[in-house]
Amino acid sequence: MTFPHPSPPSPGAVQGRTRSGLSRRAFNQHLLALTLASVAPRPALALADLQSDLWLNRLTFGATPALRAEGAAIGVTAWLEAQLAMPVGDPALDQRLADARLLIRYPAGDDGPGRDWKARDDMAPLGCLTRDPAEAVDLLDFENLMDYAERLRPAHEVINAALIRAVHATAQLREVVTQFWHDHFNVNATKNEMTAAFFPSHDALLRTHAFGNFRTLLGEVARSPAMLYYLNNDDSRASPANENFARELLELHTLGAGNYINDTTTSWHAVPGAAQGLALAYIDQDVYEVARAFTGWSVGDGRFVSDGVTAPQSGRFHYVEAWHDPYQKRVLAVEFAANRAPMADGDQVLDLLATHPGTAHFICRKLIRRLLADDPDPAMVDRIAALFLAQSAAPDQIAQVIRAVVSDPAFAATPPHKLRRPFEFLAALYRATGAQMVIPENGFAYQLGLAGWQQHEYGPPTGHPDRTDRWASATTLNRMVDAALYAHEEWYGCTDRSLYDRLPEPADTMAGLALPWTVAMLGQTGGQAAMQALADALGIADLQQPLNLAADERQGICAAAIAYAALTQQFLLR
Amino acid sequence: MAEPVLVVVFLRGGADGLGLVSPASDPDFIAARPEDLRVARSGDSAGVKLAQDLADVDFRFHPAAAPLAQLYAAGDMSLIHACGLTEATRSHFDAEARIERAAQSGSAGGWLGRWLAVTKPAGDLPALAVGTSLPGSLRGSGAAVAAELGDMLLARGHWLAPSLRQRLSAGFGSHGPIDRPIQDLLHLSDLMAGRIWSETSGELKPYHPTQPYPDDNPLSQPLMTVAQAIKLGLGTRVATVDFPGWDTHVRQAGPFGALVGQLSSALMAFWRDLGRLQPDVSVVVMSEFGRRLRANASGGTDHGRGNLMMVLGPQARGGRMLGRWPGLANDALDEGADLAVTTDYRAVLSEILVRHMATPDTAAIFPDFTAKLPGLWR
Repeated sequence: MTFPHPSPPSPGAVQGRTRSGLSRRAFNQHLLALTLASVAPRPALALADLQSDLWLNRLTFGATPALRAEGAAIGVTAWLEAQLAMPVGDPALDQRLADARLLIRYPAGDDGPGRDWKARDDMAPLGCLTRDPAEAVDLLDFENLMDYAERLRPAHEVINAALIRAVHATAQLREVVTQFWHDHFNVNATKNEMTAAFFPSHDALLRTHAFGNFRTLLGEVARSPAMLYYLNNDDSRASPANENFARELLELHTLGAGNYINDTTTSWHAVPGAAQGLALAYIDQDVYEVARAFTGWSVGDGRFVSDGVTAPQSGRFHYVEAWHDPYQKRVLAVEFAANRAPMADGDQVLDLLATHPGTAHFICRKLIRRLLADDPDPAMVDRIAALFLAQSAAPDQIAQVIRAVVSDPAFAATPPHKLRRPFEFLAALYRATGAQMVIPENGFAYQLGLAGWQQHEYGPPTGHPDRTDRWASATTLNRMVDAALYAHEEWYGCTDRSLYDRLPEPADTMAGLALPWTVAMLGQTGGQAAMQALADALGIADLQQPLNLAADERQGICAAAIAYAALTQQFLLR
Repeated sequence: MAEPVLVVVFLRGGADGLGLVSPASDPDFIAARPEDLRVARSGDSAGVKLAQDLADVDFRFHPAAAPLAQLYAAGDMSLIHACGLTEATRSHFDAEARIERAAQSGSAGGWLGRWLAVTKPAGDLPALAVGTSLPGSLRGSGAAVAAELGDMLLARGHWLAPSLRQRLSAGFGSHGPIDRPIQDLLHLSDLMAGRIWSETSGELKPYHPTQPYPDDNPLSQPLMTVAQAIKLGLGTRVATVDFPGWDTHVRQAGPFGALVGQLSSALMAFWRDLGRLQPDVSVVVMSEFGRRLRANASGGTDHGRGNLMMVLGPQARGGRMLGRWPGLANDALDEGADLAVTTDYRAVLSEILVRHMATPDTAAIFPDFTAKLPGLWR
């Protein structure tokens, strides 16, 4: 990746001098000595506040004191309805995004004599987020001389905005579900300058349709320039067609790999359901036929089509009839006539897929897996999938599905057993501590990468895995430990002020330094316990006794309190 | 000789084995592909011709694979073409899941996970997955996962590390999903602290390879991590390295050449870095499937079937092509489209386990599979 990132958590982070003049190393040794003196085994923590945060931690990027109060005041049902009813636009969030600045830095360069560009090193607004995609077409033209960082800038702005949205959006459920669709319809935003240029419009369409109709969403994604470039359909033409998009459309976006049965038959009429007019599973022949159906689905990026013909510079979907394979097709045992209207082949494929029982089960199982549990009860998946199919024409189909998942008795009855994935962990940390995101250098994305999370840059089209056993590894946990310890440090580059400066009142006692953070993260019961555990570890018996700490040491106690609260089952699991 | 080590380099995305080792003289191949998606026999970009007696075909390495051609010529590397899954799947994720599970659907864990379960190697770090997640082959094992060995140190260098260690060891006594990973983390952190952490300087002890690795190569650091683990004598027996990016559906020639160059130069550096430890180590390079014989209309290739496997290891009778070359005539192709699979990939892995890893019986590792060993070893 080309964007600059701050120092890794260690050992770089522990070098240099603190503001008090104490060397960072001496400071560490001081606290280390304090710590070693009193390390003693502790019993397991009580899990007292788990239930109260259960709903919030599943439906938002993390409970906060304000959300807990709101939930308690109006009840979960009303809270959910309010979330589902929130419009896509959020003026307060838009203002925050408009005020945000992201570093852009590169050296001067040239592409031959007289073809040079100037260096940049400045904090620039996130201008690509709201720009018309037509204006992004310029970023694809290598006759426009610029550093590659300029071409990738739209992607980096969305990545940066993702954390701001996750932490600060009022419409939390929409952000959670938007992230779900990002993983479902994965695009690696920095795969190349094309995916980068049109990633803001891809992000926007997923957010717009997050609670809407699945067929509409699917159609928008199939026409999304970022997706068309990412899975190479932009160049697919007769013949042979490019199969990349077609295969992932079936395997990842709709029917799912569980319905791919090419190892049992390669004959279309042997597929179950084919004799009744709709195959219930798919084989490679379907992939090839779907690829043919989408030939000509391209992008208006001014590209050469044929002699004297170029695509418009719309920055939007563009259909090239001359590239389309117009002849008869058979998809899932459904016959397509030859020479149909423009895009009719592709749209009929999407119609078949969006209303297919295989798709309903695949989407609903994934959504339940996201919101609730890794291995949902098959009967629950059946119930939700039946609703998905029954409401396939409803403009709020997905909202209805979400409502049904949350209202299902299994939702409240299932204990928290999913590990927060790295991005969710970081967002939850900041939400709980009330940190204000500034993110001047986008370095958090690098840090998350060390934990295996590539926000909007996940390479394979599967998107990030969503099963806890794929994340519950020593290495990911260790990076979460780092995040808990360092996420509020200045060099981490996400938040605006030191923890100590953000305390409600100046403090020099264990309770005053630690308790505000642990309670904000875990509620009263869990917060008291985490603070007490830290006090015990540091050998501090009197929680109200002045500790006579230097400013940096006070900051260290605040960060340690956050780490102690974060590394609990209550905070790690949702 | 120390305990043998197996390193699995997985080319994610379906590497174009026909482009890496091309049947350059085959008229069907020449007819099916534009010039830039096959290796030339003459001119500036001609590939190195392989000495082989597998088939009456002029097989050539991609020009960017010159280091591999050197390893092959030196007798350190064997090639098995037309390898793969016997099940017909052209889905990345289905194929990866199958090839790494190497057993019936529903079986627990991956093939390396079963190897670890069966052989129970005694070392401190018997299995290492380089990266940030466990590959399917190691599923079901307690393999360590790390991009670099230093990543395993808990809160490296932070003053709170000792009490966090205490906290984590005491705070997760339940059977929650994070119980086991936390125990792993504590174990690995203690292990690495004794080996690569200097208490006096408060810093990591850097790894100094005996040979330089290429810069700007995504495979350099992962292979260096493997070499470091082997040299530290941690008892590492299996290591996996993922190399993504091989799904070349469009304008394949440039990116594919770059990938081949990276693979070749990093493997060569790793091999030289091992030095006198080479006899202990075998490397197998594999992918989930090969790519379509015929190029598509966007200068790329779609998902295919049969593919190349490469085995690096001096005990093997290297410098040979093994298996059976089915040819590329229409009636020889799989479903009329792809290089057919004539060697079950498990046969290659079986022979490595039997002959290199000294695992006498592979029945528990590859259930329901009786291997006809391709003859890699004497």
